[in-house]
Amino acid sequence: MEIPSDCHINDLTCYWTWMGLDGIARTKVKPQAEVTLKESMENSAAVNSLYKAKKFPLLIDARQIKSISKEARDNFSIKNRSTNINSFAVIIESPLSRIIGNFFMGLNKPSVPAKLFNSEQDAVTWLKQYL
Amino acid sequence: MPLNETEAESNKIRSEKILEVIMSYARLDFSEKTIISNKGDVYDAIGAGVNMLGEELKSSVVSLREKEQLLREIHHRVKNNMQIISSLLNLQTHNIKDKKFLALITESRNRINSMALVHEMLYATSDFSTIKFKDYTEILCQSIYQSYRKPKMTINFSIQIPINISLEIDTMIHLGMILNEIISNSLKYAFENNEGTISISLKQTGSKYLLLAEDNGKGLFQGFNQEKDGHLGMQLIQMLTEQLNGNVKMESKDGVSYKIGF
Repeated sequence: MEIPSDCHINDLTCYWTWMGLDGIARTKVKPQAEVTLKESMENSAAVNSLYKAKKFPLLIDARQIKSISKEARDNFSIKNRSTNINSFAVIIESPLSRIIGNFFMGLNKPSVPAKLFNSEQDAVTWLKQYL
Repeated sequence: MPLNETEAESNKIRSEKILEVIMSYARLDFSEKTIISNKGDVYDAIGAGVNMLGEELKSSVVSLREKEQLLREIHHRVKNNMQIISSLLNLQTHNIKDKKFLALITESRNRINSMALVHEMLYATSDFSTIKFKDYTEILCQSIYQSYRKPKMTINFSIQIPINISLEIDTMIHLGMILNEIISNSLKYAFENNEGTISISLKQTGSKYLLLAEDNGKGLFQGFNQEKDGHLGMQLIQMLTEQLNGNVKMESKDGVSYKIGF
């Protein structure tokens, strides 16, 4: 996922997060990121700050993730917190990101529509229904 | 492409590390985690999966232990509250000379104690759901005996209950109350010479049970009519047996016997 040069990027500990021109928010996991609750909350706050008038879909590029703790997964499942996103898609590719993505979907069961994708284009197409 | 020796050795070590962590999780020891390298390969994927499974398992184990602790605490508090009620009833008897009133208080206390005993025994068990009927019956008999014991009274209890029969709390509460009434009646009315035997047995046939409780005392008086002469205790036995979807048959021949199927 390309990081654009023409919009404000939230450069976080483990993520780059921004609002796309198409109304879909983006967050890209930094290479070898080891995500704990602290970094996940930092990203959730950044994503929520992108809110303008209505809830929006989120595209997550998790292809370069190294690990994510249970507390972080629980936070991302949006069960006991408010959120401004109405759906999210996760791009996975390597064996590691595929395992992490599938565990997250299976064990943590997000409270908004969520799906794993191998292709960024397919993920964007799916998210457009939530715009 | 075949692996070179260094890669093969490295993969072997990584596999062994992952296995070690899986084995520690099997022992419910969650202090270890697999180390994820920067390769992002299949070994890292398996390691990450093991780590995440371990975290979920740890969370479930902790949650289960907390629930067990809570259940233990609840049974403990219920038992304590019942004992407080029992003690309050005891206090009410001070300076009271009316024998009928004192008897009523004793009966009520014993009924409460039979239920408190179920909770007391439950919080000492590992599953908090069943207790061994034989153990409960033995303790209950002694407790009621102490309550009604008169000077020079010698009553033997013959308890024939298979050690492996464990029953759930609801059934135990009902049976405890039923046995309390039967044993109390025997101790109060059956033994004119203050000697005798109270026998209790339980037989299991499939999912059905037959409880037999009898004494070898004087039996019921001639012309006893359960409807007319029976008191609250007998009504309780009937009502509690019905709540167990069971049936009760009382006989008076060489003592009084109750057969309760449930």
